[in-house]
Amino acid sequence: MTTLTRQDLNFGQVVADILCEFLEVAIHLILYVREVYPSGIFQKRKKYNVPVQMSCHPELNQYIQDTLHCVKPLIEKNDAEKVAVVIMDKEHHPVERFVFEISQPPLLSISSDTLLSHVEQLLRAFILKISVCDAVLNNNPPDSTLRQQWSFSKCIHPIGQAWCSFTVLVHTRDAATRNMEKVQVIKDFPWIVADEQEVHMQEPRLIPLKTMTSDIVKMQLYVEERAQKT
Amino acid sequence: MDELYLDNIDEYVNDQDKIVTYKWLSLTLGVHVNTAKQMLYHYLDHKRKESSAPLHATYLVSGKFVHKGQPSHRVSVVKEDQLEDFKSKMSLIVSVHVYSVQKALLKDSGPLYSVDYDAVKDNLKNCSRYSAISCADAVPVSSALQARDVQRAPTPEPENRKLCANGDADVASKPSTKPQKGIMGMFANKSAPKKQDSGKAVTSEQKEDAPVDAAKSKPEAKANPMTNFFGLSQAAKKPVTHEEAARSSSSSSAAAAAEQQRPGEEKKAAAVELPKEAKKDSRSKSKRLVDSDSEEEKMEKKKRRRIKKPEPESSDEDVIPDSPQQMETREPSPSPKKKAEPLSHSRQGKSETKTRKRRRVLKSRTSLDDEGCMVTEKGYESESYSEAEDDARASKAAKGLVPAKAAPSTKADEKRSQKKTPASANKGSKQASIMGFFQKK
Repeated sequence: MTTLTRQDLNFGQVVADILCEFLEVAIHLILYVREVYPSGIFQKRKKYNVPVQMSCHPELNQYIQDTLHCVKPLIEKNDAEKVAVVIMDKEHHPVERFVFEISQPPLLSISSDTLLSHVEQLLRAFILKISVCDAVLNNNPPDSTLRQQWSFSKCIHPIGQAWCSFTVLVHTRDAATRNMEKVQVIKDFPWIVADEQEVHMQEPRLIPLKTMTSDIVKMQLYVEERAQKT
Repeated sequence: MDELYLDNIDEYVNDQDKIVTYKWLSLTLGVHVNTAKQMLYHYLDHKRKESSAPLHATYLVSGKFVHKGQPSHRVSVVKEDQLEDFKSKMSLIVSVHVYSVQKALLKDSGPLYSVDYDAVKDNLKNCSRYSAISCADAVPVSSALQARDVQRAPTPEPENRKLCANGDADVASKPSTKPQKGIMGMFANKSAPKKQDSGKAVTSEQKEDAPVDAAKSKPEAKANPMTNFFGLSQAAKKPVTHEEAARSSSSSSAAAAAEQQRPGEEKKAAAVELPKEAKKDSRSKSKRLVDSDSEEEKMEKKKRRRIKKPEPESSDEDVIPDSPQQMETREPSPSPKKKAEPLSHSRQGKSETKTRKRRRVLKSRTSLDDEGCMVTEKGYESESYSEAEDDARASKAAKGLVPAKAAPSTKADEKRSQKKTPASANKGSKQASIMGFFQKK
């Protein structure tokens, strides 16, 4: 097992890979648990040796993958401060926000064999926590819009009966977004600066869910919830 | 016992928002599982009387059940609202007890497994210390014996499977490959082509068993290093779901016929099927043995059963792959001779012989139907593959077997290569042996 330190070129890649894999699983799980999509499209799969729910819908999966593909370079360079999964009601006001705050500890090295299983254990705990977050959150408003709008791409697809919609926001440090606008990582998948309407939440209630500190990454998950959801 | 435990459980459930299963509670507080079950029951009772914040509970029900005229023993974890309904369907109820208590209403049973996973992993050596299941004959196999068994296993393999003589190493390997193949069956439309290739080894059973069996084989796979766990549950191996019971009886005859016809030869599809058939054989045999069950024996298999009611939609999927799977078992037997020639050719040479073969693979097809709704269907498609490709990956797979040691950038690769290993081990080595990948450790 080679020792990787921060100076190594692919160290950032390694950490970003782990995080993006985790974020993908987490986003699918959030969509399942918060009933953003009907549970019929979800299928049980395995990650970190525990069962998780993942959607079968190809376009949804592609959207999430593309989003994270674009986020990955930001995480590699430690530019991404927060990744937020925002659930919005039909007027596109945020109702709930799952925020993953990511930071990297200064002294980084991947050297020990047990590190990865330790990280796996911590991520497993995150997954478990998301599964039971129902207990602390109010129900989202049911919605009868038949339109699911993707925030960061230009297509609108009807997917049966959608309830709320969701979007992924990334808060970056400094001016990292300028690079993102210049370089389109994925064709036809532009990132735009989020509207104030999509970001601002009225009377948010903060509910911390989980924190983890490991040698390679520090992550915190909390939920901001609007006081009145209907 | 003092009342302190009520406060403890209260803290776990309400303050920390944990799911408290009886197994987790017994390992955390260091009490016998039966005590833990009673603690949970009293806590639930106490809280319900106080009528404070709503609590949800799941129950484990086990007893006799007659399914389509076939008596079977069923062990299930059910939600509270389905408890009475479930109990009324059983012909004889052997045990009912609280499985878990939590504040949130769980949508599916996945988290229940996650809760116990880490607790059991931390107590790997003595996870059965508080268990009520015990077998006097079950002793941990020493590592030297294990290594010898592993090397012995490839040669007398068909007999081994029937006898389950080697018990730990043998049986342990099969369930560990099952969930890996199960994942591949579910990872259908992944964009990476690599996944496509590695998904070739998938057969029907993963798909239909996936919702039920994945959960079942996961505890077994987790228990893979825990040889004493397997020694324990070996003798008292729990009967299967009613679907599997029906299937094992029908396909066991096919498997027996198939086995006789090809005593020492390998077939790709059959080789993959064979371990599962044998495993089911052993299960159906032990099912008869354990007819007179006591409550304690159920506990080992509690996780293998999933909540039946909330998954009516999966029952349709279960039915569809049933017929292809049976067809597949019969398919090798009528045509052993045809495949014997190309196979013997490939076996004669070294393992680098490139042979293109066709095999049936479970694939997922997504299409738009008339109403514009997306329909995802899982079906069998013939796919040709080359032995050489899998051999090339065999070496990668061997290295990827110990997850803790590999770099995380190849974590995804490992998971893929882990699944490829059973297929490649089957093809790469001379014998049809899943034990092949144990040797490369």
